[in-house]
Amino acid sequence: MNVHELPMIAFTILAQMSVGAFVVLGIVQIVASRRFGAQAIDKVTDPALYAIGPVMVLGLVASTFHMNDPMNTLNVLRHFDSSWLTREIIFGAAFAGLGFVFAAMQWKKWGTIRQRQAMALLTAVVGLALVTSMSMIYYSLVTVPAWNTIATPAQFFTTTFLLGALAVGAALMGAVMWRIRIASRGDVPADVEHDVVDPDSRKLLTSTLKGIGIAAVVLLGVEFLIVTLHLSDLAGGGAEAGQSAAVFSGAWFVARLVLVFLGAGLLSVFVFRYASSKAAARPLAILATSAFALVLVGEVIGRSQFYDSMFRIGM
Amino acid sequence: MTTNLGFQFDQTLCTGCKACSVACKDKHDLPVGVSWRRVAEYTGGTWQQDGDTFVPNVFSYFTSISCNHCEDPICVKVCPTTAMHVGEDGIVSIDDDKCVGCRYCEWACPYSAPQFDPSSGHMTKCDMCADYRAEGEDPACVAACPSRALGWGPIDELRAEHGSLAGVEPLPDPALTRPRLVIVPHRDAQPTGHGTGAIVNPEEL
Repeated sequence: MNVHELPMIAFTILAQMSVGAFVVLGIVQIVASRRFGAQAIDKVTDPALYAIGPVMVLGLVASTFHMNDPMNTLNVLRHFDSSWLTREIIFGAAFAGLGFVFAAMQWKKWGTIRQRQAMALLTAVVGLALVTSMSMIYYSLVTVPAWNTIATPAQFFTTTFLLGALAVGAALMGAVMWRIRIASRGDVPADVEHDVVDPDSRKLLTSTLKGIGIAAVVLLGVEFLIVTLHLSDLAGGGAEAGQSAAVFSGAWFVARLVLVFLGAGLLSVFVFRYASSKAAARPLAILATSAFALVLVGEVIGRSQFYDSMFRIGM
Repeated sequence: MTTNLGFQFDQTLCTGCKACSVACKDKHDLPVGVSWRRVAEYTGGTWQQDGDTFVPNVFSYFTSISCNHCEDPICVKVCPTTAMHVGEDGIVSIDDDKCVGCRYCEWACPYSAPQFDPSSGHMTKCDMCADYRAEGEDPACVAACPSRALGWGPIDELRAEHGSLAGVEPLPDPALTRPRLVIVPHRDAQPTGHGTGAIVNPEEL
């Protein structure tokens, strides 16, 4: 593990997961709005929405450990017209701020549904701008061949949607398990599950999980394609590219591929197949959470190796 | 018209004594691990057949490098704080009141010019001895060189006198940052990207 870049690994992974989860929740809203009412959807998705805030804030806090003189931190806002690092920080703060306002609007039911939707759209666009500027920080370094490739933005966006989708799946099922636990406290747990999750929510949950399962498998294919193309690209490059290519080998690299395959491939297929309105909540929750956890660990290893692969040309 | 300053370095004269490096370190009182001017030793060779015998054909030459105060400074471009800036004389330097020590410039520069000082949490780099120049003196590295391999001055004059070569191994492609640097090449100097040798003292850079 690349301990030296731990703040950057934590920040990029957590921020990308937050943006991805926010966008995936938005897609769920759009797709499901025809079949279910906005209120029914909000009831299921709001707990996941509220979970994004702390994750994003945690990421931003981690990123400040990358600054060696915190006293001068505000200066990082000065170079918006040239530095992708400035743009990343501004979009990061804006995404967190807008997301907070949107979550508050949802919580207190402020504004009309249209106003809230407009706010969500704006937040999602700023979030995608955040992931773009994040990847440009590395992509724009012409002096680092392993980063100055289309694989960098491609991988960052794949991580965003893959982790985002699986995090939403885990969060939705986590919220269900939480409600069941609260409801079953004290009284006889006859059929708590049915009382807690009404049939509409059940249908919404299972079709969302099915969609997440499909998305994960597709994104797994995209990720493996990116890894393959990036490696063959590096192998055909200069001396520095060759040094970078050597990083993507060995036990850690295999572990990453296996973990992402198990989570986004195998378990996601299980989630897809097992998700039906008759399915019990607990095994589905365990499946969704394990898929997320495996991919999260795999992506952290992948990001760590991304920083390890930094070999700069020149002297 | 403002004159942009640069360095000139003659590979045919350098003996690799590293007086420039030490003079810089001493003048600026640089901490352990920070060396604004470093001397790379680039070495390679092949075997050549001469009748029935194989004879070694080897080469080695030195390149003294600090900041080249580039015309297209990637460190200035990527710096989020504007602490890294270009002065009127083309000299790239750091505003200590702005630097957050994020080390992004360190990632970007292909000459390893910006270097991190853990005690201040800021980046540091060569300013071509601004204080010495203000008093009409040479930068410490130039003054220290016993074989007069180093020079400095308005880059236009240096280029008129010595040519405009800067793409010599182990230096990066000058198209990346357009360094204000003129190299007088060693007889065995190899063009950037076509080198057959390697830096043999990477731990000193």
